[in-house]
Amino acid sequence: MKYKKLLYSKNPMLKRFISNSSVIIGGCIILPIILLAALAPVIAPHSPNQTFNGEYLVPPSKNHLFGTDTFGMDIFSRVLYAPRTDLMIAFFATLLGMICGVPLGLYVGFYENSKGIAGIFSLITMRIMDVIQAFPVFILGLAIVTATGQQISNVIYVLAFLWIPVFTRLIRTEVLSIRENLFIEQAKAIGNTDSKILFKHVLPNAVSPAITQVSVCIAASILLTAGLSFVGAGVRMPIPELGLMISVGAKNMITGQWWPSVFPGIILCVTIFGLSMLGEGISETLDPRNWR
Amino acid sequence: MKIESKVVKFILKRLVFIIPQLLGISLVAFFLIRLIPGNPAYLLLGSGANPESVAALSQRMGLDKPIIVQYFIFIKDIFRGDLGYSWFTSNPVLTDIIDRFPATLELITYSLIFIVLVALPVARATAIKGNKLTNKLVRGYGLMAGAFPDFWLALILIYIFYVKLKILPAPMGRLDLSIIPPERITGFYTIDSLIRLDFQAFLSSWTHLFMPVIALVIFNGGPILKMAQSTMLRVKKEEFIKFYGDNGMNPKRLDKYIYKNSLPPVITLIGFIYVYMLGGSVLVENIFGWGGLGQYAVQSIVNSDFAPLQAFIIVAATMSLVVYLVLDIVYYMIDPRIEI
Repeated sequence: MKYKKLLYSKNPMLKRFISNSSVIIGGCIILPIILLAALAPVIAPHSPNQTFNGEYLVPPSKNHLFGTDTFGMDIFSRVLYAPRTDLMIAFFATLLGMICGVPLGLYVGFYENSKGIAGIFSLITMRIMDVIQAFPVFILGLAIVTATGQQISNVIYVLAFLWIPVFTRLIRTEVLSIRENLFIEQAKAIGNTDSKILFKHVLPNAVSPAITQVSVCIAASILLTAGLSFVGAGVRMPIPELGLMISVGAKNMITGQWWPSVFPGIILCVTIFGLSMLGEGISETLDPRNWR
Repeated sequence: MKIESKVVKFILKRLVFIIPQLLGISLVAFFLIRLIPGNPAYLLLGSGANPESVAALSQRMGLDKPIIVQYFIFIKDIFRGDLGYSWFTSNPVLTDIIDRFPATLELITYSLIFIVLVALPVARATAIKGNKLTNKLVRGYGLMAGAFPDFWLALILIYIFYVKLKILPAPMGRLDLSIIPPERITGFYTIDSLIRLDFQAFLSSWTHLFMPVIALVIFNGGPILKMAQSTMLRVKKEEFIKFYGDNGMNPKRLDKYIYKNSLPPVITLIGFIYVYMLGGSVLVENIFGWGGLGQYAVQSIVNSDFAPLQAFIIVAATMSLVVYLVLDIVYYMIDPRIEI
């Protein structure tokens, strides 16, 4: 009922968004995962960190739906809790990257090639971004997390640091073409300050590629977090985290116990897929070429 | 101006940009290591060291000098080919890197070749001849593939092919333990063994390559396939293609035009993926005990062995700059309209 109401709403953007198939598929994947993670304390049969003595590497059974790992922890409960860690890290990392990257991109794009300190600042900033992006993402992340200490907060900062250039670049490219428009010149002519022009006139027109990037960055953050934890440089035991769980089960895989790695991996794949679908859908809805 | 002299000018222009970037890379690599708490000399000698020997080593390593001087010494050493010592392998880092680089390069190069050989023809076939269903399938695969983390895929492959089917060797290294590595010529075992006509090593190296390559191909191939297909579909709708089509151009030739005109962005992405795999294959390398650069880097992080880490960062970043440069040149040669 409510959905139908939204479908016939007057807001064309909302309508396009809600009737896009990729958005619907992505949403139908992501929302249940978020819901399950939120309700984990209610649904999970055991505490995620509880170790069952003597029940090591038990195959999936009635008592342990997804079996137990080498520490005797219930994998089903851990899999329910784990997306909390991953989604939280990914969300805050992306948010932080965006909060730093977007204003920087606005500034750099607006003042590029202009005279004075602002122009020089823009040039230097972009060259710094070039350098950051020349590094292999994973190794740079790995090195910084190791250097600063393995805490969840540090993983967030490191990922945010990696996303800043991405957002800066996206916004800058948009601003470079927007600043040539007449309405900007007009806004200048009637005496607006630069900062007012930037945030009131440039930002709303430049922000859509950055919004598209959000779900891509969240997905990539989850993959990176999982990867970092996998080599032992991200989250530490016993915090339930998908990459860490896969890593704990990796040694058992070779001896034939597949369940400790496979289940968290499936959740990881499904989450990433849902986010990519959502991102795809958002970029389709925001692309004026698809408006008809 | 002739195209050749234009290309040369273009390369020179890009080189001017690369030098400050290399300086930036060396700065980051240098200060990143200095961020790590603790005296490197102390870390090198271990916790049981007495203060005098720590002080002596600090002086020998130049740690008592001002940080700017240290940085210049660091740069000078790089130019002499001295990247420091790894206390874990007790070799000069340069030797270690030269030993391990071909392993990584072999892995990611074969993966890339495989991706290109599969993705481009598939994209071409579906974009030009395909219908809505095949297009959707390719797009869906592109999205899906990126969702399978390569390290998880690698584990699944090991479970299927090694544990259950027992048709592929254990995920330990690049060759069976019983086989002596072929004498080094290129460092690629698959090529060296062929040159030496050592078919046992040849076969062994290929069977060991199979699983890591497939894991990397599935994970990294998705974006290239998706991008290639969507670009071809876009080019197909362009005015000039329509014009040629309406004028009755031979369909085969028309296909070729569509294909060629959609290549530039695809080539850019291929380059990006290649550079990405240099750092991104780390996890797969670790799982398969590959003994390449990625595993070396992770090992050095785990062992607080900082000289190799620094060197890896510099090597990888430099290589990515080189690949980007080559990419720009290739791009320019395909599409000379670009002005830089």
